[in-house]
Amino acid sequence: MLSGDLHDRRADREKRTRPTVVVRYRPVPANRRCLRELGAGLEEEGVPFRAEPVGEDSTARELAYGAALASDLDVGVGVDAAGNTCVHHAKLPPEVPALAGPPSAARGMGHNAARLVVGIPFKTIDQ
Amino acid sequence: MTLVVGVDIGNSTTEACAAEIGEDGLITYLAGALARTTGVKGTTENVAGVVEVVRDALAAAGRAPADLDTILINEATPVISGLAMETITETIITESTMIGHNPDTPGGAGLGVGTTVSLGELPGRAPGSPVICVVGAGVDYERAAGDINAATARGVPVTGAIVHGDDANLIANRLRRPIPVVDEVTLVEKVPLGMPAAVEVAEPGRTIRTLSNSYGIATVFQLDPEQTRMIAPVARALVGNRSAVVVRTPTGDITDRRIPAGSLTLIGETARRVVKVDAGAEEIMATLRGVRPLADAAGEPGTHVGGMFARVRDTMSELTAMPVGEVRIKDVLAVDTFVPQRVTGGLAGEFALENAVALAAMVRTSRGPMERLAARLRAELGVRVLIGGVEADMAVLGALTTPGVGRPVAILDLGGGSTDAAVTTARGQVESVHLAGAGDLVTSLIDSELGLENPGLAEEIKKFPLAKAESFFHIRMEDGTARFFDEPLPPDAFARVLVLTDTGMHPIPTRHTMEKIRQVRRAAKERVFVVNALRALEQVAPRGNVRQIGFVVVLGGSALDFEIPDMIAQAVAEFGIVSGTGNIRGTEGPRNAVATGLVAHYTAARTAEEPAHALG
Ligand SMILES: Nc1ncnc2c1ncn2[C@@H]1O[C@H](COP(=O)(O)OP(=O)(O)OP(=O)(O)O)[C@@H](O)[C@H]1O
Ligand SMILES: [Mg+2]
Repeated sequence: MLSGDLHDRRADREKRTRPTVVVRYRPVPANRRCLRELGAGLEEEGVPFRAEPVGEDSTARELAYGAALASDLDVGVGVDAAGNTCVHHAKLPPEVPALAGPPSAARGMGHNAARLVVGIPFKTIDQ
Repeated sequence: MTLVVGVDIGNSTTEACAAEIGEDGLITYLAGALARTTGVKGTTENVAGVVEVVRDALAAAGRAPADLDTILINEATPVISGLAMETITETIITESTMIGHNPDTPGGAGLGVGTTVSLGELPGRAPGSPVICVVGAGVDYERAAGDINAATARGVPVTGAIVHGDDANLIANRLRRPIPVVDEVTLVEKVPLGMPAAVEVAEPGRTIRTLSNSYGIATVFQLDPEQTRMIAPVARALVGNRSAVVVRTPTGDITDRRIPAGSLTLIGETARRVVKVDAGAEEIMATLRGVRPLADAAGEPGTHVGGMFARVRDTMSELTAMPVGEVRIKDVLAVDTFVPQRVTGGLAGEFALENAVALAAMVRTSRGPMERLAARLRAELGVRVLIGGVEADMAVLGALTTPGVGRPVAILDLGGGSTDAAVTTARGQVESVHLAGAGDLVTSLIDSELGLENPGLAEEIKKFPLAKAESFFHIRMEDGTARFFDEPLPPDAFARVLVLTDTGMHPIPTRHTMEKIRQVRRAAKERVFVVNALRALEQVAPRGNVRQIGFVVVLGGSALDFEIPDMIAQAVAEFGIVSGTGNIRGTEGPRNAVATGLVAHYTAARTAEEPAHALG
């Protein structure tokens, strides 16, 4: 009885999605590198993420805010068609992102999106 | 009715008190004002500051400058204080034997031991003996992981890695066999190759166990007792780190060198003693007690302390046109401190906490160019200017306007450069003393102990409480209470320790915890003000017996501090003394005592028809 119960609960948990930072990006070829760097920053800090391509043309900030709302961790990253990145938090006003940067800052933005989740001060970004 | 303004020129602050004196000798206090002192106290440079406070005090009192009858200024004798820091230990790593820093994100966990080999040399390495891989600047993490995996597959056991970039987890996550990886090693190119080395990374939330233990290092490198003794400072330097690297080079050495800090000569009226600065504050202060009253002091030329004494003497001699040889150091305060200093030979910008002694010294003359200052003021404002009584006497008179205070009483005036004390007997006799070391020394201890190199921020940390930003919308204060905001905090405040100043919250850009900053702040205040309060009271107390003093009123800018008066009250309670912060005229708090005392003194003298000593 008991073991069956346990098993059910575990299966339940598996079905639910793991909490992640959500990265929403414009799927242009040039963004491949940017996405890799973002992911590297997040991974180095040990924070899981999932990346979602987005069809409609939006600014990095709009993408980031939508991503933050979709994230169980309340943290989202947006990457526009030019590779500019923005980090947002679901509790912040939409027009006030946590951080924004040029394509060259992608790695650091990944680190800092993760730090926003972990709750440690941001890394100074070298671009 | 006579309109007067009492003006107290301090080292940091010039204060004024406007009052009207009736024919019957009744004083009506009208208003107070304060401004920064311009120039060195007791010199003609002070005129600008005095003119400003007089104008402000009259404006606040609603009186026209034309109605002003007399300005009363204190006998402001120049007091010049100097500060010096003498570092007495230094950590030097020769031949780079260790890396002991705390990167935010080291990778893997455990201990790896082997010979250091650069990533480029891995493919040429013969299988067999274990290696530690050194990954230089600019190498991509996928390549590094790929090369390490390839080497392992060929039978070259890679047991640990030392990496330049912030890549430790990225590399560790891609390895088929997990190893400890230390990253953010800025000077990775200086890691000696072909040498036995050990890399250790602790699990998150833990600290390393092997490389911070002398016998752990001895086990790893099979050291004999003599070699173990030599390596002990390395282990000590690594205690508390989450990750570390030790490379064993044949001549490698780390030393805890003691820097010759020179000596201090303390000359009393009957005795003369020499004390080594590196003997520490306690020894220096004990020696000073032994020769008191201090007639003069000298530091060894070529040391920081020697330089500081020379500076102080030169400034005073310039001000008073007194020959340098005649300027006497009247007090010295030594405080033990520590300064974070970059480890010579470190590979990752490591800091070591070095011991240091901070010294404050003070010179004082009775020959201030006061007469010239008074004449200049008279010319500037066109009113009578009188030089009032001795500062300490005036401070006592001012303190007596605090509700609940009566004679006999002692005052402690906690300023910027000096701590002054005075006691008055029931019959009105006043005994006073001026000691080196006050608010400015506290600020500089905070600055150096936290490694801020920002005196402005240190001053704020001294004056205001701390908090930690816990989210974009709330902070946790030092006492554990939370405060919430409608507007999000700026990103640079995120997860930082903040100082809550009257002009807003300022992030403190260090990795120190709130608890650590608080502890440094409080310890600095204790070491300066509690020590000086006891020292000062001891010197003015009847027959040196502090217990004879019943009441202490704490005054001056540093009495506005949110914890110093409490620390003093607690320390003197032991001697049965009641101590509290003054409240001059029941309205001014601990400020304005001397300015108020000048008015009270002048009035009393006038009523007694003792002609005051008028000028011009
Ligand atoms: N609100 C405050 N909290 C703590 N310290 C303060 C506060 N305001 C001023 N201070 C400190 O008071 C000191 C200056 O004190 P004050 O204005 O009494 O000096 P002073 O009498 O002009 O000079 P000195 O005593 O050196 O001759 C400075 O160290 C300053 O940091
Ligand atoms: Mg003072």
